[in-house]
Amino acid sequence: MSAGTTTSRRSSRRGTAVLLLAVVLLLALVVALSGDPETATPLDPENPGREGTAALVEVLADQGVEVDVVRDAAALEASEVTTTTTVVVSSTDALGRSTVERLREHARPGLLVLLEPGPAASGALGTPPGLTVPGGGPVAASCSAAGVAGTTGDRLADLSLEVDTATSFPGPGCFPDGGGGHLLVGDDGEVVLGAAQALTNEQVLRADNAALALRLLGGGDRLVWYVPDLGDLASGDAVSVRSLLPPWLLPGLVLGLVAMLAVVLWRGRRLGPLSVEALPVVVRAVETTRSRGRLYRSAGDRPHAATALRAAARARLAERLGLGATGGGPDRVDALVRAVATATGQDPGRVAALLDPYAPTPTTDHDLITLAQDLDRLDREARHP
Amino acid sequence: MALSGRVPLLVLLGLLPLVLRPSASTLWLWLLVVVVVCTVDWYAAPRPSAVVLSRAEVGSVRMGHPTATEVLAHNPGTRRLRLLVRDAWPPSAGAGDDRHRVDLRPGAALRLRTTLQPTRRGDLRALGTTVRSRGPLGLVARQATLPVPGTVRSLPPFDSRKHLPSRLARLRELDGRAAVRVRGQGTEFDSLREYVRGDDVRSIDWRASARNRDVVVRTWQPERDRRVVLVLDTSRTSAGRVDDVPRLDSAMDAALLLGALAVRAGDRVDLVAGDRRVRARLRAAGTRDVVGRMQDVLADLEPVIAEADWRSLAGAVSALGRQRALVVLLTPLEPAAVEQGLLPVLPVLTAHHRVVVASVRDPELERMARRRDDAGEVYSAAAAEQELRRRARTAELLTRLGVHVVDADAEHLPPALADHYLSLKARGLL
Repeated sequence: MSAGTTTSRRSSRRGTAVLLLAVVLLLALVVALSGDPETATPLDPENPGREGTAALVEVLADQGVEVDVVRDAAALEASEVTTTTTVVVSSTDALGRSTVERLREHARPGLLVLLEPGPAASGALGTPPGLTVPGGGPVAASCSAAGVAGTTGDRLADLSLEVDTATSFPGPGCFPDGGGGHLLVGDDGEVVLGAAQALTNEQVLRADNAALALRLLGGGDRLVWYVPDLGDLASGDAVSVRSLLPPWLLPGLVLGLVAMLAVVLWRGRRLGPLSVEALPVVVRAVETTRSRGRLYRSAGDRPHAATALRAAARARLAERLGLGATGGGPDRVDALVRAVATATGQDPGRVAALLDPYAPTPTTDHDLITLAQDLDRLDREARHP
Repeated sequence: MALSGRVPLLVLLGLLPLVLRPSASTLWLWLLVVVVVCTVDWYAAPRPSAVVLSRAEVGSVRMGHPTATEVLAHNPGTRRLRLLVRDAWPPSAGAGDDRHRVDLRPGAALRLRTTLQPTRRGDLRALGTTVRSRGPLGLVARQATLPVPGTVRSLPPFDSRKHLPSRLARLRELDGRAAVRVRGQGTEFDSLREYVRGDDVRSIDWRASARNRDVVVRTWQPERDRRVVLVLDTSRTSAGRVDDVPRLDSAMDAALLLGALAVRAGDRVDLVAGDRRVRARLRAAGTRDVVGRMQDVLADLEPVIAEADWRSLAGAVSALGRQRALVVLLTPLEPAAVEQGLLPVLPVLTAHHRVVVASVRDPELERMARRRDDAGEVYSAAAAEQELRRRARTAELLTRLGVHVVDADAEHLPPALADHYLSLKARGLL
């Protein structure tokens, strides 16, 4: 019975494990098939959120502009760039010196648009560092007033811009806002847009933002949207953490290490040798008896154990009932059984089955335990009848 | 050599020049400075052997009782010594705070006191005194361990002394110094004196009264000047622990109580302890402080993993004198050991002496026989029952040979043995 229970319990446990595994596999499959997770990167052309630019890309595609989203330098170099191609770069903070070089080289035939480069990217791009300012009401283009001419300036002439925050570049630029302009045209004709929020799904419909976006990016028949990847940076290209730290830090750390070593030597030196002492032998007096019990058990010697228990019970009962020391003689045993039966009021046959040295010996450990407990109970009943 | 906590601080102090002139060379230069300063300090530190250490005799203490040892540190040189001294003892000596900070001016001396509270019996020896001598800057110290021998003798605790007053009272009753003055077994004629009211009329000596103007009674006193020989078994069976106390220690306790009582009763107490050979022998005839001498002899006895040679122990008992004596064998009632070793020798002893076997019973055996809840316990119970029965049979066998058996728990053995002695004395069976 017990074996059957064990097997069924084990099989049910296995069933649970299989079920769990199946659920995990199913989940993994669903995740794998659900396609690319939506990105939450600001200005990402595949981000349908408030800060994404998916709407703009969709509109451009409807207008017949061929949109090509590339996400690393290799893909950028694989894409075709002609004179009628616009290359727009978002996430410009991921650009480094080496990627900027590759970008400039590859985008030379077309128009390069850089969206809101941060301080680190400005350094790599060679653009003046901008200043983040809160946007206000609509700002007119006034490109010619700022001295920005050429095709870009003409295209944006009559537009106005309205965003929440923007980067303002010092010096002359379109969309001037007190200190500087939100749009810059570089020496090589590349456009730096500080108010990239105008392209986002949330703000593209304000003022003339939509027109600005379409004119700026939909000028050619092809748009390459480059989202640079940090992994493309050549080694040593990134800004080193080291240059940000004080110069004494590294030797200071070494000094700290040496100090730690000194602490180890200070605390580790013992004041003299360990105190040693021969330990006394610890043997419990009942150890041999206990091990003899274990020996009986491992040998399964139930007859011997039962004989010892019965003999002890007989001796104890005989002493208690005043029968004197009992030998093994059958008549003495009979007398004892009768006396015990009288004293406890139990059936003499039952008492004899417990006490008689020639009674059948228990065949299982369970029977032996029952016998031992019955003898104990009989002993107690004889004591307090 | 030993560094102090100031060294890491000195190293960290190098941060200052490093901030002012951040370069690797500053770092190395500073570390070089630290090393040089430490080396100079080490050279300047006085040698630990410059201090002269000597220890006063510790003496003996009862186990578990506090005592203290004093090391005298003397500076005979001309330099000031700043030392850290550790007086190392074995863990069982229970040394308290054994570390001492010492500042010795030239010619000065100081006592360094370390408290001890031994937790083991026997001779506990000091392990050596470690001296750490600081340099003038306190950065580096020289260290050496010097032998300063010393021994504390941890005596058997004699916990059963609490039973002594009540047994002495019983003894005084026997002695006739208390109210009861009747003739009986175990008393000898002491003197004649005038009758006072309250005396037992049966003790009136009519013949003496006839010669006198007053009524005269005889007084009696118990037997005196009998011999008691305590035989302590230190063989393997005495090593077994009963409630975590070795049987030997409990047997010592019983021997000490009986010794103390017998000496007060005017008997002479001799002691023999041994296993394969005789390990201790004490002839205490005529000495007063028998307990102290017995404790001293017993202090260093440890159980030996060997079978007892009762033939040589009986020989040692016989060698103490041929006068009839009460021979108390303090040995566990271990059926196999008793039947093989003791039984063949017993007739020799019982022929000349009255023999008592005092054994420390293990209550755990009875507890084991009572526990019957699972198969393992039932088998153990069977083994325990068998052991108990064999013990009972051995005791019976000894009784039949004319030996009295006192079998009691460790706690109750000393008073039980003392009571047995008193009853023997009262009945004049010594």
